Amino acid sequence: MALETPTGRRHRTRLSRNLGLRARVTLTFAIGAFALSAVMAGITYFAARQSFLNEHQSTDQRQAFANASLIKNALPSAGNQPSGTQVDQLIGSIDTLPGSLSVLHTGGKWYATSPIQVGQSAIPAELRTLVLHGTPASQYFTLGNSPQIVIGVPLPAEHSAYFEVFSLDELASTLRTLAFALAAAALVTTLAGALLGRWASGRALRPLAGLTDAAVAIAGGQLDTRVEAGDDVDLLELASAFNRMTANVQDRIEREARFTSDVSHELRSPLTTLAATVGVLDGHRDELGPRARSALDLLDADLTRFTRMVDDLLEISRFDAGSAELSLDEVDPGELVRRAVGASAPVDEDGHRAPVVFPVEVGPGVEGLRLRVDKRRFERVMANLVENATLYAGGVTRVEVARHPAGVDDPARSIRVIVEDQGPGVPEADRNHLFERFYRGSRAGRRESSEGTGLGLSLVAEHVRLHGGSIWIEDAPGRGSRFVIELPLEPHDEEEVPG
Amino acid sequence: MSRILIVEDDERIRSSMRLALEDEGYTVEDVASGEEAVGRFAEEPFELVLIDLMLPGIDGFEACRTLRHQSTVPIIMVTARSDTHDVVAGLEAGADDYVTKPFVAKELAARICALLRRSRPDAAGDSVLSFGDVQIEPDAGVVRRNGEEVHCTRTEFRLLCELADHPGKVLSREHLLEQVWGYDYFGDGRLVDVHVRRLRTKVEPDPANPRFILTVRGMGYKLAV
Repeated sequence: MALETPTGRRHRTRLSRNLGLRARVTLTFAIGAFALSAVMAGITYFAARQSFLNEHQSTDQRQAFANASLIKNALPSAGNQPSGTQVDQLIGSIDTLPGSLSVLHTGGKWYATSPIQVGQSAIPAELRTLVLHGTPASQYFTLGNSPQIVIGVPLPAEHSAYFEVFSLDELASTLRTLAFALAAAALVTTLAGALLGRWASGRALRPLAGLTDAAVAIAGGQLDTRVEAGDDVDLLELASAFNRMTANVQDRIEREARFTSDVSHELRSPLTTLAATVGVLDGHRDELGPRARSALDLLDADLTRFTRMVDDLLEISRFDAGSAELSLDEVDPGELVRRAVGASAPVDEDGHRAPVVFPVEVGPGVEGLRLRVDKRRFERVMANLVENATLYAGGVTRVEVARHPAGVDDPARSIRVIVEDQGPGVPEADRNHLFERFYRGSRAGRRESSEGTGLGLSLVAEHVRLHGGSIWIEDAPGRGSRFVIELPLEPHDEEEVPG
Repeated sequence: MSRILIVEDDERIRSSMRLALEDEGYTVEDVASGEEAVGRFAEEPFELVLIDLMLPGIDGFEACRTLRHQSTVPIIMVTARSDTHDVVAGLEAGADDYVTKPFVAKELAARICALLRRSRPDAAGDSVLSFGDVQIEPDAGVVRRNGEEVHCTRTEFRLLCELADHPGKVLSREHLLEQVWGYDYFGDGRLVDVHVRRLRTKVEPDPANPRFILTVRGMGYKLAV
């Protein structure tokens, strides 16, 4: 039992994958054109050859018989042997075609017109025997390298036989030319077939280019992309299937996003009640016993965390639904970062913010630049980064606002906000995943004390992306890691409203 | 004691808000619909209205507009979302400020406190401020245009005073939020934008092409001199 080996199958798949659809169609067309033209050329060649040969043979026969009857009349009747000289003269007087050769056998001797004495050796033995026994015959053979036809006419009354050998060189050369022409035609046809295949596959695949563009757009998040079917019946089905699929995907994604959004919204009402009542309880904490107070603190802390989580989920669902909008303000980058860092400091029970314990450095050339930014989102970004550093990396050591490129002479293209911590750093392998939702990586298991929602850094990345910026992680000099946010500065606006 | 009217259809939220605000020392009355709110407001004056935007019957926007037609009472709207057009629509319907659910009671109390404080007659300046054909009497809380009184809410009035106090100077949104609403740097700039728009319809000859309250792109607003 022959089972196909996996290797074999894989090999085949790879082969057909290596050859693109276009190449395969082109190849198929070329092979088809070649096969067709080869068959046609073959038929043409053999038909032409047959007909040329038949014509040649009948002409040759006519001449051979005519010459034979001339010789028959000139030869004396049986019993009277003509002399060798007479026969030579006789043969020499016969009118032959150029390249043909007359051979006469009479009186047991061979005579020939050729200047070279070919004699009987020029004629194939079987034919010689056949004719000498009284049967007229013809035969193709080659003499030296050239094809010949010999026609033998018995002259029984004179005990003689007349042979005439015709050269087929000219015919062979004609056939060679014909074969060459047919081969050339087949080649041209094959090429034409390949070109046709290429054109046809290109044409057939052209709608695929539209589909590819659409698929790329959809992959890029433009879920409302649809393909135009045009009026091609064959494509209509594909296009409508594609559009149906996209609509389903869009519907599903939107439903999911809506679901998250709805859930978050629905959670808001009970959370509002909870927040208000916990606030009331907190106002009456003096009336509570120590155990009830501890319970209230726990409730308060987790209510805050729960609220944050719902907020974050809602924010995420807006990003997923593509409905997140920037509310841009033009601000001084240094002040923005200072304010955001200040706002990220924890608030104590009396509502006072803790002082910021790390320096915020504003690099040279930042002053005077205006950054268009959604302040609320930026504040969330800084708060989340500071919180992340506090929870996992021993706190922020410094924050820097720098322009990029750093040279003050070059026009600034972006603002970089650098947040450094003194933690163990982030392993290379974790760096790309750190911005994924609920990713904990090597920090897994350190959750107990954490107040994070698991969405913080992914939201940071989304906020930054929404601004057209990027965020990445480097090693901080010495120890710890460094989060770099790059926010583009918009090219100077022409339509400034004069103040 | 300041009297506050809460308009909220969710009974539990209503009760909890009432508890929280009563603890802050306010006298609180609550109703469950826009219709009731309008009716109740017509019977008795309130010093502040807290109104949920999603209400059965006439919604929060409509109730807000109706109340605004009758009075310059400070209105805080309660929204479920902060980034939709709800906020702008609510502000345009006449609300002075907004809070987003779920809010911390202390935060809400602070917003109420800020609005009530500034809705009392302001003693910032004693001279009459004026620009174009507009006169402002900060003491009396009156704005006149060509001698005729213009009805401004107190937030609009405060905003106008702040601008008129610094003629020709660009005031950032952050500055205005801090001075007029008592917000910090991260307050919502849309509050300023909508109120400036509303103010323009009251004091500008052609609100679409303002001559006095000018937008300085990327910087803020200023009063032209």
